[in-house]
Amino acid sequence: MKAEDGKKREPVIRVKNLYKIYRVGETKVKALNGVDFTMYRGEFCAIVGTSGSGKSTLLNMLAGLEKPTRGEIVIAGRHIETLTENQLVAFRREKIGFIFQSYNLLGTMNAVENVALPLSFQGMPRKKRLELAEKYLKLVGLEKVADHMPNQMSGGQQQRVGIARALVVHPQIIFADEPTGNLDSHTTMDVLKLMQKIVREQNQTLIMVTHDDHLATYADRIFHIIDGKIVKIEENGGFQAG
Amino acid sequence: MRFPDLLIMSINNLLRRKLRTFLTVLGVTIGTASIVVMISIGVGLKTFTMEQYASSGSLTAIQIYNYGNYSETNDKTNPEDSFMTDDTMKVFEAIPHVTSAYPKLNMNVIMRQGVYEGNVQLYGIPLEAMQSIKLGQGSLPTAETSDMELVVGNMVAQNFYNAKTGKGYWDSGKMPEVDFLGKPVFTIFDTNAYYQSQAPSGEEGQAVAAPKKYMLRTAGMVEGGPEDWNEYSYGVYVDLEKLKTQLKQVFKKNPIPGQPTNKKGKPYSYFVYTEATVNVDDMDHVIEVQKTINNMGYQANSQMEWLEQSQQQSNMVQAALGGIGAVSLFVAAIGIANTMMMSIYERTKEIGVLKVLGCAMGNIRSMFLLEAGFIGFVGGIIGVVLSLIVSLLINKFLAPMFLYGMEGRLSIIPLWLALPSVFFAVLIGMAAGFFPAMRAMKLSPLAAIRNE
Repeated sequence: MKAEDGKKREPVIRVKNLYKIYRVGETKVKALNGVDFTMYRGEFCAIVGTSGSGKSTLLNMLAGLEKPTRGEIVIAGRHIETLTENQLVAFRREKIGFIFQSYNLLGTMNAVENVALPLSFQGMPRKKRLELAEKYLKLVGLEKVADHMPNQMSGGQQQRVGIARALVVHPQIIFADEPTGNLDSHTTMDVLKLMQKIVREQNQTLIMVTHDDHLATYADRIFHIIDGKIVKIEENGGFQAG
Repeated sequence: MRFPDLLIMSINNLLRRKLRTFLTVLGVTIGTASIVVMISIGVGLKTFTMEQYASSGSLTAIQIYNYGNYSETNDKTNPEDSFMTDDTMKVFEAIPHVTSAYPKLNMNVIMRQGVYEGNVQLYGIPLEAMQSIKLGQGSLPTAETSDMELVVGNMVAQNFYNAKTGKGYWDSGKMPEVDFLGKPVFTIFDTNAYYQSQAPSGEEGQAVAAPKKYMLRTAGMVEGGPEDWNEYSYGVYVDLEKLKTQLKQVFKKNPIPGQPTNKKGKPYSYFVYTEATVNVDDMDHVIEVQKTINNMGYQANSQMEWLEQSQQQSNMVQAALGGIGAVSLFVAAIGIANTMMMSIYERTKEIGVLKVLGCAMGNIRSMFLLEAGFIGFVGGIIGVVLSLIVSLLINKFLAPMFLYGMEGRLSIIPLWLALPSVFFAVLIGMAAGFFPAMRAMKLSPLAAIRNE
């Protein structure tokens, strides 16, 4: 089944022999110790591991926030480990959406402006980008609080604004770093289902990092990482979908 | 990112920290105001000295004196060569940048009105040269009137004394009641003959007949009261051509006092001038023309040569004052740098988020530069407004003390000072914000991921 899927699905992320070694004083810490995998278009992947397992390091490197010590990362056909910082920024601007654990909305802007922010980096005129942002706010069900400032919204609302912000540039890949880490269990379910639904509809790739095995069950495939190595890739048939 | 978006983001960030922004802007305001006010005082002093010089004679005029060495006639040189005549004026006028050259024929005459008598300097100048005399009353003589008419200086009356008591203005302190416009004034040209006729006849017993008195009409009075000095205050001015005719008529074949004679003691057939004024088209060319005239063998003086020296001094004073002001702007610049650094430390996470979301590095730098520049801009604008107010106050309250009651402004803020100082404040702000902005640009996007 896996092989058949691989043939008809187009790979979006290919990681080969990836190492990341930190120097802490005299000792070397291997955060990533030879990681290989491929992720496909339209997939919802979860990277699961305990803290210190290297899952965040992996995500940072996939998003081009950190440079690998050794190895290859090919995203949408580009070797991102060779890009300069400026090129990486441009790459994230065009291809990647990012959902943070602590939402990271800009306190000086209201909800719709926060959603429109990544579009302003692309140089889109204000009127056009606010229209688009409102469309995505509606998609996450927040059209009523469009003019609220972040400190006037609940955590769940803020995270949904964060999701809209990640989606608004219509990225090929969306990274989510513990997206529900600061939310209560009820809101967590809402947010997860929302992410799952939208990614399905728009045929985007969603990569979520979490330490919670239960949350990972929402994903199509679950990558278990321990001590910098992928120990198991679990096919999940999407039984929780929907 | 589009520029308006950058600007809005920067301004919003500044507005988020109102008190801190206000304090930083205040620093720039004080810095800018102190530079502008200091330089404005320099400009004011410079303008003031320039006006002082201008009031004692036109700044574009060169005075030429030629009390030639008529008497030291040696055989080798012809004394006539050094004479300043109508032909010399044509030579002067041919010098580049010279607009006109006016001779001045100087006569010492005695004027009488009633009991008052006075020694007066009578100057014959061309009618065109009279145009620059500012009149208080009456009008300038014209070429049409056939009689010689006087333009009398506003301080001439001081030179009169009571012929019976021998007391005048300088003895009694009382201004002689000489009315030039209302009553006739008699002028005696041949002063030697007059004094001889007044003196008791000597042992030779040759009583000299009193010379003829001429009644001359006064056409106008020079502007100003008896205390307001200007360059025309002490003289009586008449049309040069009419004076020449008059003198020929008075002295006939005899030598005219003040005019040179040839070896045989006979007067020349033309007039020789002791003074002349050369007008130059622009202040910048005065020194150059003056040198040319000096090289021709005449003694030339101008206000410009003095003005240049004092301008150099003024420039130094201005630079020193500006330097004092610059110190406070420098301190303000440090304030900006400090504020920006603080702001960057506080916003490390936010900057990381911007980078993760794909904000170009250059845009982040521009954002912070704009913030710093905006602080400079607002501070500069308020600073200029503040310095205009301070300048007004200085002129109102301080200037009378420093200028000893003379008319003038101590502090002048010209447009060339006001506008560039705003620009300069922006530049200072951006320079101060440069390193913080570079730092912000290089911050790691990972800061956004870290959870505290």
